[in-house]
Amino acid sequence: MDKNADKKDLEVNVPVEEDVFSRNDRTADENFKMLEKHNVYAIDILGSVGSGKTTLVQNLVRHLKGVYRITAIAGDLTTSIDADRIQQEGAPVVQINTGQECHLDAAMIRKVLTTLDLENQDLIFIENVGNLICPSAFQVGAHQRVVVVSTTEGPYMVVKHPHTFMGASVLVVNKIDLAEAMEVDLDQLKKDALHIKPDLKVVFTNGRSGEGIPEFIQALNLPKK
Amino acid sequence: MHEASIAQAIVQTVLTHAEEQGAEAVKSVEIELGELSFLNDEQVAFWMKLGFEDTVANDAEVTFHRIAAEIKCASCSYQGELKVKEDPFYHMKLPSFSCPECGSADIEITRGKGAVVRNIKIIKK
Repeated sequence: MDKNADKKDLEVNVPVEEDVFSRNDRTADENFKMLEKHNVYAIDILGSVGSGKTTLVQNLVRHLKGVYRITAIAGDLTTSIDADRIQQEGAPVVQINTGQECHLDAAMIRKVLTTLDLENQDLIFIENVGNLICPSAFQVGAHQRVVVVSTTEGPYMVVKHPHTFMGASVLVVNKIDLAEAMEVDLDQLKKDALHIKPDLKVVFTNGRSGEGIPEFIQALNLPKK
Repeated sequence: MHEASIAQAIVQTVLTHAEEQGAEAVKSVEIELGELSFLNDEQVAFWMKLGFEDTVANDAEVTFHRIAAEIKCASCSYQGELKVKEDPFYHMKLPSFSCPECGSADIEITRGKGAVVRNIKIIKK
């Protein structure tokens, strides 16, 4: 008997229909519902290492802690440097050390949310792992996504990462005091971003001096307290 | 991007289903990659090959289908393909996240974001 013909009879088609992103998306949806249920507003903040995410979160905490009850979640491969800096501003911080993962995912955020007293919480800032590429594909369940680029990263940060800006609501161009020294054209950065996403809000900041922070807060359009 | 971790998830999905069905070997795997998943199929295939090594899917033939993005507009109720502009500067097709009919940005992406394992062909033990 032909062995192969025999095998052919045993060949079975198995429908799978499974989206490998869907597990993360489902958890992100659950996170979002959990936040909504407790009237907590969450912002996912993306940007490269050294773009100024932590300094911006420090500024946000400084400006908003009198009005909102804030917690920050700081994602990093290792160390608690960022978490310590934000904590100094008077907001509780939960550190997530991802070890090797280049992004935070919805399950990591879920774990943190279950440890927080969400009833006594208004705002959560999620400082994602310093990386402008991978985190963009992993929703965490936040209400909006902010992307930070700084002038010291050079003039091409926006055009080289179109995917990242598609899912964002606000672009923060940070370290504007160094734009001239870096020969970075701020208007061009804005034009590049609007070419990718026409309804993106673009704000210019200097995290060190606090310049542009009120405009940044306005662009976030936070729920009224 | 992170084709390696996505490929790993695909490999796990395939092997789980193969085991559940009592497969002696996986003959073929069909995968749909959404246009907005921004995944490169050659890279995904490379990492999958490594993941399948020394498993029942060692010799599986992998086929990729590219899925075009579709949207639903909340303003004018348009449903259909997303407008995509061929942008030579980006060396890629850049999707425009507004409604091709009325221009509204209030759209929902209904198709084309995923990385779906559609089906597998196995040989039963």
